[in-house]
Amino acid sequence: MTEDSTTPRVANRRLFLRGALSAGVAGVATGAAAGAGIAAALDGSARPAAAAVDDAVPFHGAHQAGIATPSQRNVAVVSFDVLAADRGELTDLMRALTDRARFLTSGGTPPDPGISAPPTDSGILGPSLPSDRLSVTVGVGASLFDDRYGLASRKPAGLTSMQTFPNDHLDPAQCHGDVSLQLCAENPDTVLHALRDIARHTRGAMQIRWQIDGFKSPPRPSGTPRNLMGFKDGTSNLHGDDTKTMDQLVWTGGEAGWAAGGSYQVIRKIRMLVEFWDRVSISEQENMFGRRRDSGAPLDGNDEHDTPNFAVDPVGTAIPLTSHIRRANPRTPDTQDSRILRRPYNYNLGIDSVGNVDCGLVFICYQRDVAKQFEAVQKRLADEPLVDYIQPVGGGYFLVLPGVRDTNDHFARALLA
Amino acid sequence: MAASAPIRAAGWALLAVACAGLVSCTGKSSSPDDPVAIQVNTGTCGPKWSAHGGERTLQIKNAGTVTTEVDLIAPDTGGVYAEVEALAPNTTRSMRLTLGRGTYALRCYAEDTDGVTGPVVTVSDGPVHGAAAVKPVDNQTLLASVKDYRTRVTAGLGQLATDVDTLRQALRGGDLATSRAAWLTAHLGYERLGAAYDTFDDFADKIDGMPDGLPGGAHDPDFTGLRRIEYGLWHGEPLGSLATVADQLATDVAGLIKAFPQQQVDPNDLPLRAHEIMENALQFELTGEADQGSHTGMATIDANLTGTQMVLDTITPVMKTRYADWDKVALWMSRTRTAVDSTRRPDGTWTPVSALDRAQREQLDGDIGQLLETLAPVAAIGDVRRTS
Repeated sequence: MTEDSTTPRVANRRLFLRGALSAGVAGVATGAAAGAGIAAALDGSARPAAAAVDDAVPFHGAHQAGIATPSQRNVAVVSFDVLAADRGELTDLMRALTDRARFLTSGGTPPDPGISAPPTDSGILGPSLPSDRLSVTVGVGASLFDDRYGLASRKPAGLTSMQTFPNDHLDPAQCHGDVSLQLCAENPDTVLHALRDIARHTRGAMQIRWQIDGFKSPPRPSGTPRNLMGFKDGTSNLHGDDTKTMDQLVWTGGEAGWAAGGSYQVIRKIRMLVEFWDRVSISEQENMFGRRRDSGAPLDGNDEHDTPNFAVDPVGTAIPLTSHIRRANPRTPDTQDSRILRRPYNYNLGIDSVGNVDCGLVFICYQRDVAKQFEAVQKRLADEPLVDYIQPVGGGYFLVLPGVRDTNDHFARALLA
Repeated sequence: MAASAPIRAAGWALLAVACAGLVSCTGKSSSPDDPVAIQVNTGTCGPKWSAHGGERTLQIKNAGTVTTEVDLIAPDTGGVYAEVEALAPNTTRSMRLTLGRGTYALRCYAEDTDGVTGPVVTVSDGPVHGAAAVKPVDNQTLLASVKDYRTRVTAGLGQLATDVDTLRQALRGGDLATSRAAWLTAHLGYERLGAAYDTFDDFADKIDGMPDGLPGGAHDPDFTGLRRIEYGLWHGEPLGSLATVADQLATDVAGLIKAFPQQQVDPNDLPLRAHEIMENALQFELTGEADQGSHTGMATIDANLTGTQMVLDTITPVMKTRYADWDKVALWMSRTRTAVDSTRRPDGTWTPVSALDRAQREQLDGDIGQLLETLAPVAAIGDVRRTS
């Protein structure tokens, strides 16, 4: 995969502009910062625009940020249950989420309330907020479409509750939810600041059901970041700037009605039993993944980005048939459509009751169709040898809402209209 | 990239249109605005200054020799837009606010000196409405509220003394169920008084203190009062030994009743209590932390709501004209009350906080959390300020 900070940002900005132009949306302007980035892109200049733009991830657009956006270093994934008393209050909640996300992602100085209230901002990022590449990605779960808000008839057919897979160890307290927030930024204080701000503005309307924080490791020493089993995780991934593939496999289309331009989000909190794993021989570890631990190369190759050639190895001499990469992506014509965009992070929660480190993977993926993509992959992975060393303990399925187009738009406007 | 030239033109045109009409282009407040620098001096509260409307930073420097409070006021009403408290000589601090069209003035309160209003400044451009001014609360404003509060607490303390006597008799009578019921009545009576932090001085700990911070915990000789009796009643202690604790409790309540008329009630305390009582309820009761065995935390929260309402009633005349969202306080008090009431069982007992299901828990967390957010400005607005 190429989801690292070296992915050219200019390319993304250009796509962003193109989308805005074709949609005829005046709200392309997300502040002077974005303007500068657009200017750089239009210059055709190859130099990164980063130095000129305060690293803001544009908030407005046909799609929400935080999916095609190159992964930031830190994440908080937070699931909420909605308490809003009626549909009007649910709309207020969506407006509040929009306002906070728009403000937080663009950065700037919070208003001074004078003597009328305590400070409007927690201050943990200083008197003026850096954007820090913050993205706020809002999704809705199937449970929001029950009888509370009269939305049952508007539930997209593809939005279901996360099922329990054969190797799962799910804790109900860490599963599902009405609303998901994926908060990503380069620094963990920015992520926490955003969560505190959003929670402060929405306390009576929604409450946190579960939360998991994650971090993305830097390349060690190069290439795709590693998971906490020591293996590079996400080498073969979709590319956020490949719009054709994104449209094919990630963004929902016209079939989704009001939800067109969204994406189905699967979150899985996967505990890794790392002490047990560390007591396993290197060849057994590598056979379970199908890659070398040191380089990330497939077992039939030399470099991380060598393409494994399963076709010439039908009985799994080089790469076992049961290996993770072979089950997950057999690279056959009929499995091409089950590919997903992964945006994984590592997590560490401290020590469990037997003295082991409670750590693992915040698996996040995006796709156009959960049944045909994530669930198809998951079924192929059932009972893979790796399952003895990992335990999915929580998560949920959500539908990431279409993007907020401009300053007059808000999250879920088409849904609640 | 030759083909991109027309796109470039179109792109800039779009930007120009968007920036003309959208607050976010300039209102994205990192946009550079030159601070308005004003030096204030004892006696004049600054020279004439000027500013354009919009989001502005006023940099106030104390060029005098005395620490001074500086307010930005509406000269016609005395309402305060922003303040810099305790500006020491030779220091500079900022006020950041949105200046709407209208008149403004700085007002300086140097220590031990009457307030002085600076030149009146007219802002004639920018948004029609800027930040709202709040009429300040001074040490006279809350006098009636304090008097009202004292009357209500005095009545409550009288009832508490009666309830504690009933508890003593029940403990001496030796019946556990009767004693527990009498304890709950007395405890809730105290909780309805809205004690928080330093209300009632040392009597608060004597009457309702927790074992936290005592080396011996629940068995520390200094752990006394209602919570100590609760611990004993739900941990199988002999009722006779608890009667001795109750005797001490009666002595302490009598001591408070005697002392209360002389205790100072800082007018600041009432607006602070407005949110502090429920802050404590959230922190100690809804978490179960305060529970010494009775599992009556929800009943305590119910009593705390009553205590909060008592405080709100006393300050309503002051707040309803100063706090724009005052009506939301009643809304969230009501919603919180409904959520709390829903944890009461048909037989009148309360669900232990540890037995709340997820939906109940989230509803309570959400309603109390929103109530607290709504009450927080009350303390800021009610902070006693100089006006003369």
